[in-house]
Amino acid sequence: MEQVGYESALPNLDAVFAALADPTRRAILSRLAGGEASVNEIAAPFDISQPAVSRHLKVLERAGLVERGIDEQRRPARLKADNMAAAADWLAEFKAFWGTSFNQLDDILITMKQSGQQDKDHE
Amino acid sequence: MSDQPQYLLDRVFDAPRDMVWRAWTDPDLLQHWYGPGVETTIHKFDLQPGGMWLNEMKWGDKSDLSKMEFQEVTPPEKLVWLHSSTDADWNITANPMMPDWPRVLLATVTFEDLGPKTKVRLTMVPVDASDAEIACFAGAMAGMDSGWGGGYKVLDEMFAELQA
Repeated sequence: MEQVGYESALPNLDAVFAALADPTRRAILSRLAGGEASVNEIAAPFDISQPAVSRHLKVLERAGLVERGIDEQRRPARLKADNMAAAADWLAEFKAFWGTSFNQLDDILITMKQSGQQDKDHE
Repeated sequence: MSDQPQYLLDRVFDAPRDMVWRAWTDPDLLQHWYGPGVETTIHKFDLQPGGMWLNEMKWGDKSDLSKMEFQEVTPPEKLVWLHSSTDADWNITANPMMPDWPRVLLATVTFEDLGPKTKVRLTMVPVDASDAEIACFAGAMAGMDSGWGGGYKVLDEMFAELQA
């Protein structure tokens, strides 16, 4: 198997998807899609504590979906778009596998129907 | 478990059920449509419970092998198989890009008779999966539709941002 280069070239999609499995974390990402925000700002609309938000941010940070600013006071979190895009690309591929295959099945069925019709015409 | 993550795809085909069943279960027809834009070769196709479907997809100089073991074959209503990626010797392997992607997925296809048309429902769920595999699959499925597509427009917004 040619696996050389995978590790460095691509983000850890396992960690990305595991991070995305949690609805609160998806909501945090949604919030950050609107712009960077501090832990306080993120926690405000949610019914969860700031430490809980911090824990979720750590998971998102480890997955490479979020980075934190260096400002000691606020440490604003912001999205890292490239890893998110890599995960979205992968999902698009998974979806396209069956979607495109089913389109091809449509074409086969049309051919089958036409040849069935021709057989009938010959009878 | 009711909250087991699953992939679900519904599609109505404009052909009677017997014909759709044949397109799924005749390997000569199946290899013409299975796999998007790739050259699919079916090395083995033993359509019975416990029987194997050994599948190869080629594009360029790349090759992708998978093994399906049929669990249930009920013509023309239902097909169930265990779906895995394999190495060159047809041994089940992890996804090289994603070690936590479930190694084995249970695929169920039902064919519903709608007269001149047929409704096909495909579902895939992890089997004997570790917590890490379930989390990985759950996250991917959440990203696929309900999570991001439904309420959260994260990706749309990000793509708009990336393209700007």
